[in-house]
Amino acid sequence: MNLITTFFTEYNDIVPVVLMSLFISIMSTAIASILGLISGMWVALHDFKLKRGLIRVTDTLMSLPPVLMGLLVYLLLSRKGPLGDFQLLFTPAAMIIAQCLLVLPIIFGLSVSSISKSGLEVKGTCISLGAGKVDTFITVIKESRNQILSVITAGFGRAISEVGAVMMVGGNIKGYTRVMTTYIALETGKGNFNQAIVIGFILLFVSFLINSILHFFQGRDA
Amino acid sequence: MEIKIENAVKNYEGNEVLNIPDLEIENGLIYAIIGLNGSGKTTLLKSLAGIERLSEGKIEYKKNLSYEKCKLDISYMSQKPYLFNGAVKKNILIGLKYRKLSKPEIENRFEKYRYYFDIEYLLDKNAKKLSVGECAKTAILRTAVLEGSLILLDEATASMDIESTINAEKLIKDMKKEETTIILVTHDLYQARRMADYVIFMDHGKIIEKGTAKEVFSNPQHTLVKNMLAI
Repeated sequence: MNLITTFFTEYNDIVPVVLMSLFISIMSTAIASILGLISGMWVALHDFKLKRGLIRVTDTLMSLPPVLMGLLVYLLLSRKGPLGDFQLLFTPAAMIIAQCLLVLPIIFGLSVSSISKSGLEVKGTCISLGAGKVDTFITVIKESRNQILSVITAGFGRAISEVGAVMMVGGNIKGYTRVMTTYIALETGKGNFNQAIVIGFILLFVSFLINSILHFFQGRDA
Repeated sequence: MEIKIENAVKNYEGNEVLNIPDLEIENGLIYAIIGLNGSGKTTLLKSLAGIERLSEGKIEYKKNLSYEKCKLDISYMSQKPYLFNGAVKKNILIGLKYRKLSKPEIENRFEKYRYYFDIEYLLDKNAKKLSVGECAKTAILRTAVLEGSLILLDEATASMDIESTINAEKLIKDMKKEETTIILVTHDLYQARRMADYVIFMDHGKIIEKGTAKEVFSNPQHTLVKNMLAI
């Protein structure tokens, strides 16, 4: 107990950074998951002319450098940009937008590839049993929940470990837009390696926690 | 259920896998579709079940109705049945739940069919942990409880043991009613001879011979059919 009190006294500025990190990453992963999973499942379960082209573009976007995304969102949100009137630059909202755009292709692309095979099988079975469109959609989600959880975890991993884009559009403002990764970059630059290592371990612990939750749900289905 | 197939063509990536200019299927009969691997049997069954869409042509059900209007009267068992995560009993009854049947009605259907196979010990087991033969028994019961007027069975007994095959054949015969048409794909010529009223031989997506089981088995016309029956 004493150790924890001492830790939080010494590193009192870490807690808001961790909370901000979790908030930004969870929000951006949640938004990207809703959009990416719904569209990804639809693409996985249907055949259309541009499907292959779309998958190729998505694969390219999955490896998009975060700084490039940061630059694009920066230009979009800067005062002279098309969305400048909203004054979102250097706010948590800008960071969520940037991370969301980075995570979306990952969730979309992975859900298309992981649901394509099993999802079509489930869809065919549902059709043969007389299920309507809603029942079929719900059943595909239920049967693919392990894959869906893995996809969401991969997206969250990308979001929480991202530094380039959030640094550019968030500005790493103390107590406002500072997150764990930008904090590590800043403290390393200043030579405060202790602080950087502590926050690095917290980052690892959060990843471990998220993976443990995933394994818990996957194990329950097995 | 009567079915009429006209100019049915199915292409996969430029290859024609099904080409049936014309086929009529009558009420109250058991049809056996026989053919080598890749002859288009499964594609035909999936097209009838509404799982595959034809590239060209059309299928009419009950004289002139579309698939959409008859889909709840069609039940299909795949050659590799997919069972949902959950208990075997839940899997058997899921089609009835999709049809929004009442609980007593669902239980009645279950009681009617459960004794065709010795599956008491399986009912609460997770369907994902079944053997291939147990999967097939679960899947054929799932198809049977729907009591469709068009029943499509793709190699339903291929992975069953002898006792289960006998039970499955009894079940199939019991499912046959005046308004029910059963189409089964099989590689077992003896089964086709035992079960079918009408036999269709396919090769490379085309029907190469059709007729009553008696006619075809006693006097085959096509060379491939003659060769297959000579084995």
